Amino acid sequence: MLRVGVKYCGGCNPEYDRVALVEQIKERLEGKVSFVLPESEDVDIILVVCGCKTACADLSSFRGIKIRAVTNREEGKKFIREIIEREVQINAKAEK
Amino acid sequence: MAMMTAEQYEESLEKLNLVVYMFGERVEDVVGNPIIRPSMKAVAKTYELAHRSEYEDIMTVVSHISGKKINRFTHIHQGTRDLLKKSKMGRLLGRETGCCFQRCVGMDALNALSIVTFDIDAKYPTGYYKRFLKYLEYVQENDLTCDGAMTDPKGDRGLPPHKQPDPDHFLRVVKERKDGIVVRGAKAHQTGAVNSHEVIVMPTLSMRKEDEDYAVSFALPSDAEGITYIMGRQSCDTRKLEGGNMDQGNLMFGGHEALVVFDDVFVPWDRVFMYKEYDFAGQLVEDFASYHRQSYACKVGVGDVLIGAAQTAAEYNGVARASHIKDKIIEMNHLNETLYCGCIACASEGHKEPSGTYCVNTLLANVHKQNVTRFPYEMARLAQDIAGGLMVTLPSEKDFRSPETAKWVEKYFKARPDVSTENRMRILRLIENITLGTAAVGYLTESMHGAGSPQAQRIMISRRANLPEKQRAAKKLCGIEE
Repeated sequence: MLRVGVKYCGGCNPEYDRVALVEQIKERLEGKVSFVLPESEDVDIILVVCGCKTACADLSSFRGIKIRAVTNREEGKKFIREIIEREVQINAKAEK
Repeated sequence: MAMMTAEQYEESLEKLNLVVYMFGERVEDVVGNPIIRPSMKAVAKTYELAHRSEYEDIMTVVSHISGKKINRFTHIHQGTRDLLKKSKMGRLLGRETGCCFQRCVGMDALNALSIVTFDIDAKYPTGYYKRFLKYLEYVQENDLTCDGAMTDPKGDRGLPPHKQPDPDHFLRVVKERKDGIVVRGAKAHQTGAVNSHEVIVMPTLSMRKEDEDYAVSFALPSDAEGITYIMGRQSCDTRKLEGGNMDQGNLMFGGHEALVVFDDVFVPWDRVFMYKEYDFAGQLVEDFASYHRQSYACKVGVGDVLIGAAQTAAEYNGVARASHIKDKIIEMNHLNETLYCGCIACASEGHKEPSGTYCVNTLLANVHKQNVTRFPYEMARLAQDIAGGLMVTLPSEKDFRSPETAKWVEKYFKARPDVSTENRMRILRLIENITLGTAAVGYLTESMHGAGSPQAQRIMISRRANLPEKQRAAKKLCGIEE
């Protein structure tokens, strides 16, 4: 199962509810993704949840790890779709 | 312990033995006092948010001396990124508390001392910087809140410290001992003083040789023997004693100021960071002031709350669609974001000092603070315009709850049918709180005089504006050759 670490920006002036979006993502991807602490050693993707397009989160401790940033709700939904489609493809390959 | 929780912070304050007076009486339970407690809760927010993943990118940082994760309020800025995050932290906390959260002043004192102690050592064989770093490590390791105490009572403003009729009107050294110094005097308007673990004292203005006894900087535990706190009053402060949960406006948070008296207080040498190096007093004032003028980023956060309250009041009153109301809300946003521009700009244009500490751009920090002396007043005016006169003529919550009067208050202060009278009263009370109640101390008058009164910024703008370069550009374009 894909291991995703959630890293937030600092939330100085967010344009949407970042925590609510992450809750929605976790709910929609339950059973498909394992959410772990971002500093975990075996994390596959860092999902950076930014409150605006400035996207100023400090990512210096995640060098070499795949980063996926979202800066609004729509991008969050897109991330959900990507993960679901990824799983569909993996399952299809497995069936072949 | 690298970072305290909000609960641990409150417990740590309970262990202090502060001598605090308010309304002529000694306050025995400082943490539990209903007038002081909301201000403690505002500081506690700086601890709480540091433990929440959605805020830790702003609220925490890795210490450059220990390598440990620390609360940003105890950090020494290591780059413009740190300075930017400091401005953003101010907005965040201003918005989350709707008031002054009091902890920036200690951070600014630490950063200013990290520059000046280094620079004094470069000129004199004093060893202050090493001493300061040891103190900083203690502050970071214990995640302490520090009061940065600069403003002396100042007595006759036309006279320097050594010529004052009362020599204690500026804090001074009255005795030198083998193991330290004894100081006497006071610091006025000390924001968050009784919510602090430490008090960091700095001189209040540039000094000459004759004032060398006044050129002193040191840090002490806030409950050191001989320190007394006398709480300042705030408009509407006793509403917090009335019970109920409407008339205070902001139900959770507040600020406070106090007069801090040092009555022959002993300071051990390892806590002294400036001792009679009068030629560095001005630099310490200027560096601290620059950082602290940046810190007024917090007013942008409080401005966010005021804009939100004004828009809500407009909606509750049924006038949100009126073009002039929309325009006033736009104007409030314009003013607030202009303030934000200033605190972001002075941070992004910051520079590295010889000690390695990054300092804000002094000119831009002063321009930012100069704007802060004006814009919140205009925003408050617009919010009151939008809210309507009811925000100052509303009956009390007790009348709203009373069996005899509730039906009339409910009936005649109803506006839109889908909005409860209680909610309408609550939002108007919040606007009242920020624009003329307890929070107006922080949002308005502190915006005017905190971190230096308007004229202090104008002097700095004059010094840093580089007029000759502007004249050169102008003369060149119109063919003037001199």
